[in-house]
Amino acid sequence: MIRAFSPGAPVRILVALMVLVWAAPALAAETPDTDELTLNPEWRAPDQETARERAKEVVPFIEAVVDECQLCRQQRLRDVGLGVKDITHSYFLLDSPIIKQREDYYGPVRFMHTKHAAAIQDCAVCHHARPADKAAKETVRCSACHQESFRGDHPDRLGLKAAYHQQCIDCHRNEAKGPVDCVGCHPKNVPDHKELVKLPADPEPWDVTAECLRCHPGAGEDMLLTAHWLWKGHSAYTLDHQKKVMHGKGTTAINNF
Amino acid sequence: MKLTRRGFFKIAGATGAAAATNRSAPAGASAPPDDPYGCLVDLTRCIGCRKCEEACNRVNGLPPPEEPFEDPTVLNRLRRPDEKAFTVVNRYFPGQLDASNQLVPTFVKIQCMHCQEPACASACIVGALTKKENGTVHYDVTKCIGCRYCMVACPFEIPAYEYHDPITPRVMKCTFCFERISKEGGLPGCAEICPTEAITFGRRQTLLKVAKDRIRDNPARYIDRIYGEKEVGGTSWMYISAVPFEKLGFIDVPNEPTPKLAETIQHTLFSYLWSPIVLYGLLGGIMWTSHKNRAEDEDEEGDRR
Repeated sequence: MIRAFSPGAPVRILVALMVLVWAAPALAAETPDTDELTLNPEWRAPDQETARERAKEVVPFIEAVVDECQLCRQQRLRDVGLGVKDITHSYFLLDSPIIKQREDYYGPVRFMHTKHAAAIQDCAVCHHARPADKAAKETVRCSACHQESFRGDHPDRLGLKAAYHQQCIDCHRNEAKGPVDCVGCHPKNVPDHKELVKLPADPEPWDVTAECLRCHPGAGEDMLLTAHWLWKGHSAYTLDHQKKVMHGKGTTAINNF
Repeated sequence: MKLTRRGFFKIAGATGAAAATNRSAPAGASAPPDDPYGCLVDLTRCIGCRKCEEACNRVNGLPPPEEPFEDPTVLNRLRRPDEKAFTVVNRYFPGQLDASNQLVPTFVKIQCMHCQEPACASACIVGALTKKENGTVHYDVTKCIGCRYCMVACPFEIPAYEYHDPITPRVMKCTFCFERISKEGGLPGCAEICPTEAITFGRRQTLLKVAKDRIRDNPARYIDRIYGEKEVGGTSWMYISAVPFEKLGFIDVPNEPTPKLAETIQHTLFSYLWSPIVLYGLLGGIMWTSHKNRAEDEDEEGDRR
C-alpha cells in the first residue's frame, strides 16, 4: 500500500508514456498502408458489387412446381442432405428489375442468406416448393417462381414483391425477430442533419425542441396526441382494458422536461 | 299510297311485335358488362402500410394530405373516402389475440366498389356516371350538373363532392384508374404499389375463382364469404376476410341490385310509352265524349229555341 504512494509510480508511468510516443510512428510504419484502400473513391466492396450484379439477373419463369406438403418437403430436403453448407451465395441485394420496371421508390434491401439459413436451419421455410422439372435444382431463387404480379396464366401466383414482403414480414412477426416496419429493411434516405440543425453554442433543452419543430411542425402536435403525453387510463389496444395505467403526464406526473 | 284503317293496324302490330322480340338488353343503361376487371382485397394480407392511399393520391393528382402517409396515428380513428382521398385504410380490432395476448388488427381498405349495376349511374339524370365494359364506374365531369343524386343513391356512401369549390365542383370518387387499366398491362395505382398483394387485380370471373380457391385451401384462415360476389348484384371490388364483415365496418347491403326496384317501376311504366299513350288516350276519349255530349246538348238547346 505504501509503495503505491511512493514517488516512483508516476515516474514509471511517465517513462512508459515517453516510450510509447517515441515508438508510435515506428509501429504505424510497420503496419500495411490502409490509406490506399480507404481513400480510393473508386473502391467498392467486392461482395456488394457481386450482389449488385446478381440482383440484375432475371431467370426463366418456372411454370409448374411439385405439389407436396411442407412436412414432406422438409423431410425430403433432409434426406437429400441439403443445408447451410450448400449455400453458394451468402449475401444478396434484393433489387430485381422485375419490381423496378413497375416502380422504383426504394433502394435495394440487403439480405443475409447464410445468416438466415443458420438461424432457421430449415431450407423449406423459404424454399417451399421445387420446380416440377426433374432436371432443375432442388432449391431455386425467389424470382424463379415469383415474377410479375397478376399474371393471366397464373392468377394466384404471388408477384416477386409480394412474395418477399409476405415471407419476410410473416416470419419476422412470428419469430418476433428482425424488422417488420418499412424502414427496417428499406433504409430511409435521411439527409445529414449536421448542417441542417442550427443551435446556439450552449443550447437549453427547449432550444433543441424549438429547433426540431422548425422543420417538423407536426411532430409536436402529434406528440401531444400520443400515449407519451396522454398516458392515462386503460389501453385502447388490450382486450377487456388490461394494463390499466392511472399515472402519467396526462394526470398526476409533472412534465419535467 | 292510301293507308286504310286495317293496313295501319297491320303495320303497327308488326312493328310492335318486332320491337318486343328484339328486346334482349334491358331498357336503360344498366346492363352489367360480361367480363369486367375487378380487384380482390384479401384482408388477411393487408398490413396497413397505407401505400395504396399514397399511390392513389399520386396517380390521381390529389392534394397533399393533412397528415403524412407515413403517420400511423391516422389509423387511430375511422375515416371515410372524401373529395381529397379516393381510398382510405381503417384499422379494426375484431377481438382476436396473438401469442403475446395483444389484439390483432385487421385493416380494411375502402373505395368505390364499382358495382356491376351501379345505383349512382341509375340515379344520374344526365348520364355523367356510366358503367364501362372494363368494369369501371366512370364519371364524366363535362356532363355532371352537380345534383348529387349519386351521393344519395350509393349504397356504400362513396361519392364525395367538392363543396369548397363554388365554381367548378366535381363529384369525387375512385376512378378504378380508368386510363391506366385501359392500357395493356396497366394496373390501378393501389394494386401496383401494394407490397403484399393484398389487392389482386384481374378479370372479375378469375378473381372469384381465386377467392374461392383461397377459401377452400385455407378454411381456417378465411370465413366462407366473398363480399362483393352477390352484394347489390355483384361488385367489381371484392373482399375476403378472416373475421365476419359486420365487425369490420362493412355495410350490410341486400343482394338485389339497388337500382332494380326503381328501374323496374320506371321501365314498366314507360316502356313503349304505353302509360302516356293510355293516359292521353283516356283524356282524349273523355274530352271527345264530353265534347260530343255538349254538342248534342247545344243542338238540343238550339232546337228548343
